[in-house]
Amino acid sequence: MLPTTDRFKKGAKETLADPVIQMSMEAVYTGFHTNRQSAGAATEGWDGQRDRGRAIKEHTIANLDYYLEMLTDKIDANGGNVFFADDSAAATEYILNLARARDVKTVIKSKSMVSEEMSLAHEMEAVGIEAVETDLGEYIIQLAGEAPYHIIAPAIHKSQDQVAEMFSEMTGTDPGQTPEGLTTTARGMLRETFLRADMSVTGVNFAVAESGSIVLVTNEGNGRMCTSMPRVHVAVMGMEKIVPSIQDLGMMLRILIRSATGQRISSYVTMINGPRRDEEEDGPEEFHLVIVDNGRMKLLADPKLREALYCLRCGACLNACPVYRKVGGHSYGWVYPGPIGAVVSPVMSGLKQGKDLPFASSLCGACREVCPVRIDIPNMLLHLRQQVVEGPPEDRNIGRIERLGWKAWRFGNMKSSRFRAGGKIANLLGRPFARKGMFRRLPPPLSGWTRSRDLPIPASSPFRDRFKKRQSGDGE
Amino acid sequence: MAITGRDTFLERVRGALGRTPGAPELDDATHIGLAVEDVRRSADDVRREMSESGDALLDAMTESAGMAGWKVRRVASPEDAADVVAEICSEAGATNVLRSDQDVFASIPVDVALSLKGITLGVATVGGVGDDIPALKKAAFDADVGITGVDYAIAETGTVVLHPRKGLSRLVSLAPGRHIAILNWGDVLPSLDELFTLERADFNNGAIEGSMNLISGPSRTGDIAATIVDGMHGPFEVHLVIVG
Repeated sequence: MLPTTDRFKKGAKETLADPVIQMSMEAVYTGFHTNRQSAGAATEGWDGQRDRGRAIKEHTIANLDYYLEMLTDKIDANGGNVFFADDSAAATEYILNLARARDVKTVIKSKSMVSEEMSLAHEMEAVGIEAVETDLGEYIIQLAGEAPYHIIAPAIHKSQDQVAEMFSEMTGTDPGQTPEGLTTTARGMLRETFLRADMSVTGVNFAVAESGSIVLVTNEGNGRMCTSMPRVHVAVMGMEKIVPSIQDLGMMLRILIRSATGQRISSYVTMINGPRRDEEEDGPEEFHLVIVDNGRMKLLADPKLREALYCLRCGACLNACPVYRKVGGHSYGWVYPGPIGAVVSPVMSGLKQGKDLPFASSLCGACREVCPVRIDIPNMLLHLRQQVVEGPPEDRNIGRIERLGWKAWRFGNMKSSRFRAGGKIANLLGRPFARKGMFRRLPPPLSGWTRSRDLPIPASSPFRDRFKKRQSGDGE
Repeated sequence: MAITGRDTFLERVRGALGRTPGAPELDDATHIGLAVEDVRRSADDVRREMSESGDALLDAMTESAGMAGWKVRRVASPEDAADVVAEICSEAGATNVLRSDQDVFASIPVDVALSLKGITLGVATVGGVGDDIPALKKAAFDADVGITGVDYAIAETGTVVLHPRKGLSRLVSLAPGRHIAILNWGDVLPSLDELFTLERADFNNGAIEGSMNLISGPSRTGDIAATIVDGMHGPFEVHLVIVG
């Protein structure tokens, strides 16, 4: 997917003015976030399990070369194929070549964020292969020609009416259908596709190094359909998705699913250990795993950003984030929105273009609090902000006036005498413009502040003076 | 089969980790340190617990399965189980029912009970419903109900566990609109952790299957207006018949 991360401010402004999206986005808080909070509270040893989850990811990423080797040796032994891709283009080329070699006409896709990085469905359509998303949310945004809005709920921004209208245009169904009716319509359409599909592309929630297994988690059953129906199954994963042992899965599934939707478990968890065994009744004849870098190496190489690779893609940080809930998913301009997106999207797709993203946060820390593996997102955002402001002047995202302002601020705060004098001067100069001790409207660039809130004027007698008077006995 | 592009990729990983070129420091990778013998012993412990606490685990499963969206029926005998299965099929107006070819149907006389109700029953295997995999797929998509036994159940989450294999198609529990799962006493595990302990012991013994499915309620979606709707791709109705 081509990044439009430089459109953040424009996108945010548009989303804030869109009442349909603002209404739809309420659900991520009232639904996902609330459910996640109660699921955590109801789980015995919840915080300990999160600590353990973090420790496992920390260990695995620190020994990623070791585990990648083990994983791929095991897949090989299980009768599967492995392709290591440096970038999206290489991964796409491998999959397209495979599809051509196997004379594939129709591909069914289960939700995969990595395949979004590759715009894989689009690339397939471009060479004449039918590619159909089978997660209902992904299916809807594919019909709408849009990118996912949320990591686990890609079409969360669409209202029921919008979806009904889209389905009606396509199939002639009643434009006033309920979610139940719409789901039945989609079920029927997708069942036909399942029956004729030759190949599937799925994501990977966990890859188990010791056994060469991949694990898929879905509620709809599209993960199961995609790994049961076609002749060829291709799984695509970011290089960080590994856990060492089968025995790590219980705890990892627990923290992933409870953080994502608040369920105890999703309807379906599927573990795939290669292609179907000879004696089996059905299942794919071929299994391919594509392991993708596509910019992750940059996260791995920076000790301050490495923990972004612990991410399980549960979406809890999005739901908790007061900024994401207002500016929406598309404003972030690449595959991953929200707090974790503000870290990984600019690093993976280019910090120069995405320099506004690390600033799209109030650093309130809600993301870190809900993260199942306790990723310190605010700290990484600060690290990236530092890289932006210390980068070449033309790549910074603050103008000359703002820089000058901060210089003046620094000068004024270097000595207490300057600070004191500054306060007095601001009070004297400001008094004629203030009403009831507040600035209501200031000229640019300070208007950026007063447009949405008042600014109190510095007190004529600062606290420091009053405190001193009080201490010396002649206080008020 | 084939691994492509690994050497250069791993060198880049090592570079990013700041390792000297060459083999990883195996000493650091101590996580999979649990000896095969320990895993086998804990798997034995798990099996002992399954039978010693069989009643309590079955009670816990009855409750959690209900919460997960299963319609739970508990019966005392194999004959009663077969009657309940036939009843569910006939109440659903099913005319076309598929079952797997698992051992459980040797003790639970589902075939007889269904034929008494005049319901056609197919066995979801290649050879059972047709001569090839496409025929099996079509039969599974056309069936009103799919019936299977289960390998395990998990009390923590209301889950049933199936390992597709000879006699057990991947689709019989997925493609029909209704799934009936039959659970026997003694097959319930306390939590996900015990399942993966057993799975790891099987893996160490070289006896791991091609895939494993954990099923916890009906197929579900919340993707339109955050409204939960059952029956997206898989069954919209799931029944758990507990024997014991």
